[in-house]
Amino acid sequence: MKRRMMAGLVTALVALPISLAPTASADRDTDFATELHGFGIYGQRDYNAWLAKITCKRLTTGVDADAAESAVFLSGNLARTSSTEQVWQFLGSGLRLYCPEHLGKLTAMSNDHPEAP
Amino acid sequence: MTMHSIRWTIRALLLIVSASAAAALLASPQAFADATDEYPIPSKQIETQCDAEQYLAAARDTSPVYFERYMLDKSNRPLDVQQMAEDRIHWFYSLDAAGRRQYSEDTATNIYYEQVATRWGNWAKVFFNNKGVVAKAAAVCMNYPRGDLSVWDWPVAR
Repeated sequence: MKRRMMAGLVTALVALPISLAPTASADRDTDFATELHGFGIYGQRDYNAWLAKITCKRLTTGVDADAAESAVFLSGNLARTSSTEQVWQFLGSGLRLYCPEHLGKLTAMSNDHPEAP
Repeated sequence: MTMHSIRWTIRALLLIVSASAAAALLASPQAFADATDEYPIPSKQIETQCDAEQYLAAARDTSPVYFERYMLDKSNRPLDVQQMAEDRIHWFYSLDAAGRRQYSEDTATNIYYEQVATRWGNWAKVFFNNKGVVAKAAAVCMNYPRGDLSVWDWPVAR
């Protein structure tokens, strides 16, 4: 009886972390690639992931001061055929997945539109 | 034809074949590496008026992944080797085009010429190894500040 209870307890202890484990969303790079596909941005998955991470690093180190500079950086390094819209989609998605702490820079952009005369 | 003469004919033939093989081997053009205008150092790197920091900053913006990998590689070297590489590339940029072309020739013909390479094989990868990277960076490097050593301090993920 005691042994059976032990076995049950062990099973429960093993099963708990498995059931609590976050749903397998492969990894961040794959999620990012999937999002990019939704925007019609293709190309090498690893390259795009690098580019997003480097974009984050440039904001952290101050090489790029704001989201506008990030967009300039990205438009020079994404495929030549990428539209302005796709560049910003890449930026938004990249910041959210790889460095949400910089998302504020993106929203700051939408606030400082000059007033129309 | 007697057995004796057949044997002598075969011997003679063998001699001719081996002699001609030896001759072909000796007379073949000697394989030696030589520099060209693009190899091992691309012409745009030889001709650029930018300094190391201008070029590096431009490469950071125009070939970010290539730059990142170079910096990652660099960060894995001992500090003295990193300093050697920086000093050596500063020396390279202090040369004029003719000097750089000569250096390209020297490194192409003698693998022991470049001492830094004995400690770190890819010490100048971002500067020399990829014609496309050099072309893109050399096209805009004049727009960056000269001598800004902060471009070397690039944090890399561990």
